[in-house]
Amino acid sequence: MPKALSRLLIGALVGLVVLGVIVFFVGNAWFGLPVGAQGPEQPIAFPHTVHAGSVESGGLGLDCTFCHRNVDKGAAATVPSVQQCMFCHSKVTGEGSTSPTALAEITKLRTAAEQGEPISWVRVHRLPDHVQFVHDVHIRYLMESPDVIVNSTPAIRQDGTVDAAQTCSTCHGQVATMAKVKQVRALKMGDCVDCHRANNAPTDCAACHY
Amino acid sequence: MVSTPRERKWQMVVDVDRCTGCQACVVACQAENNIPFNSESHFKQGRTFSWIRIERYWEGEFPDVKARFLPFLCQHCDNAPCEPVCPVFATYHNNEGLNVQVYNRCVGTRFCQNNCPYHARFFNYWEPVWPVQMRNSLNPDVTVRGRGIMEKCTFCVQRIRRAELDAKRQEREVRDGDFQPACAQACPTSALVFGDVKDPQSRIHEGLANKRRFRLREELGTEPNVVYLSKVDSEAKEAAGHA
Ligand code: HEC
Ligand code: HEC
Ligand code: HEC
Ligand code: HEC
Ligand code: HEC
Repeated sequence: MPKALSRLLIGALVGLVVLGVIVFFVGNAWFGLPVGAQGPEQPIAFPHTVHAGSVESGGLGLDCTFCHRNVDKGAAATVPSVQQCMFCHSKVTGEGSTSPTALAEITKLRTAAEQGEPISWVRVHRLPDHVQFVHDVHIRYLMESPDVIVNSTPAIRQDGTVDAAQTCSTCHGQVATMAKVKQVRALKMGDCVDCHRANNAPTDCAACHY
Repeated sequence: MVSTPRERKWQMVVDVDRCTGCQACVVACQAENNIPFNSESHFKQGRTFSWIRIERYWEGEFPDVKARFLPFLCQHCDNAPCEPVCPVFATYHNNEGLNVQVYNRCVGTRFCQNNCPYHARFFNYWEPVWPVQMRNSLNPDVTVRGRGIMEKCTFCVQRIRRAELDAKRQEREVRDGDFQPACAQACPTSALVFGDVKDPQSRIHEGLANKRRFRLREELGTEPNVVYLSKVDSEAKEAAGHA
């Protein structure tokens, strides 16, 4: 093979690989889907399955708003304080549990409570600083418009509305079945604005950016 | 159902006769809007930030001199010279009469600043820094602007949004007096009055109907949304003239 041709071939090959890498990263940024599809490691392996999972599937069936108390009242959903976990975990120590991790993980929680220290949970969903998101307007809207809810089949009440806890799946997926919370929806600007357009919600830049 | 709010148009009335030049508005604005500190070297370079500032000038000959004060802020012009020159539409007029600056859209050409006849726009020449002790004192409702971005008075849009959301939670319209921008709230003499001119109940109408009203550089045709009331005594007319 002439030298020039093999050089050309190698050049083309390298170019193709570089292009492939660029397309992958740009495409990934464009669609904004979380890579690897794994949530971050938390200081205590808190399983939503055990607490929020349905009773039939072996969970406690706690309502999302029992812990995320502010979700239908204000901008931030909020994560519960250690004291709130201790409602139960002052008694539920994990001793004799069928779960092999329970004792160790609950002990971490009880130690934090004894020392009066908060737990530094790692944020899973985090919009950039220049975006202002509000939970409660969305929850109230979705409670009244169950047909907009996705990722689950909400239990509709007689008056056509649903519980606040039924709305979360729209943006967060089925958290109750996640041992470790991960982001399932892009929640990029296009994602927000598409839904706003479809539902006649504000699309003025100053609704989300200020 | 998404409830469409009543039409709004925000305006401010500044009563120059009440202004004592105390700078409370300036400090309040600085704290509310995460505006970085102005150091001596910033002053020397003419690169200070103050979304609202008090222009001070002297009138008369010694010993009969008088200090005059004029609070200056973004005029939120209906016909804003800053808007058409932005190549990326980072600044525009929204349906509430606000001149909006979308920080994340801004690429820092500074054309808007050049075209503003009121010197109301400020450019971030540096990354903003605060002393470590003050890290938790930043306002979470306001974006911290990075280097290379233009910023200016927003009429405290974060407070407008908060009032709107609170009103929605209580299933009612925003009422006059639900909120004030930081500057108006801090003003000890109530020289600054903010309100929605589409709301007939608003206190702002009192000021708007005043005979002393004038607007800055009216002759440019910028149609500012900040209305000034001139000083009451005789010298005031001249002051208004070269404001
Ligand atoms: C027993 C209390 C409890 C209940 C009930 C609960 N959560 Fe949580 N949730 C937590 C704690 C603690 C965290 C923080 C640790 C973590 O991210 O795993 C959390 C984190 C989350 C996060 C991630 C927050 C972030 O950092 O972005 C989402 C989303 C979430 N929960 C949704 C739900 C939904 C939806 C439900 C109802 C199906 C629910 N939670 C029920 C306690 C609870
Ligand atoms: C309604 C009562 C209740 C509340 C509130 C509650 N838990 Fe639990 N939790 C339980 C029960 C019951 C178990 C199951 C224990 C077992 O397996 O023996 C459990 C299990 C756990 C486990 C062990 C899971 C495993 O199998 O590895 C952890 C960790 C835990 N909880 C953390 C928390 C934290 C953190 C909070 C506060 C955000 C909290 N819990 C709030 C009742 C509760
Ligand atoms: C319209 C989409 C949407 C819906 C519906 C929604 N969330 Fe969120 N959630 C978000 C976004 C976006 C964030 C990230 C917010 C940020 O970074 O400021 C978030 C963050 C969170 C967080 C962590 C940060 C915080 O605000 O405390 C929790 C916990 C949470 N959501 C729980 C819930 C629960 C529980 C529900 C159902 C009652 C729910 N969310 C419904 C979009 C949504
Ligand atoms: C499932 C559809 C949906 C998604 C996804 C969604 N929104 Fe919304 N949002 C709405 C609806 C509907 C309203 C209007 C609610 C009302 O006025 O009752 C709204 C209202 C808002 C408001 C309040 C506007 C105001 O001033 O009243 C903000 C802010 C907002 N959304 C931000 C966001 C952001 C940021 C995201 C993306 C992370 C997002 N939304 C994703 C449906 C959605
Ligand atoms: C419904 C809420 C919403 C509205 C309305 C909205 N944005 Fe955004 N915007 C977002 C969110 C969420 C992000 C963050 C995306 C991310 O996670 O990177 C964003 C990011 C951006 C970015 C940064 C680039 C990027 O994709 O990250 C720019 C620039 C921007 N928006 C400009 C605008 C302009 C200009 C308007 C008005 C025409 C506007 N936005 C209206 C929600 C909104």
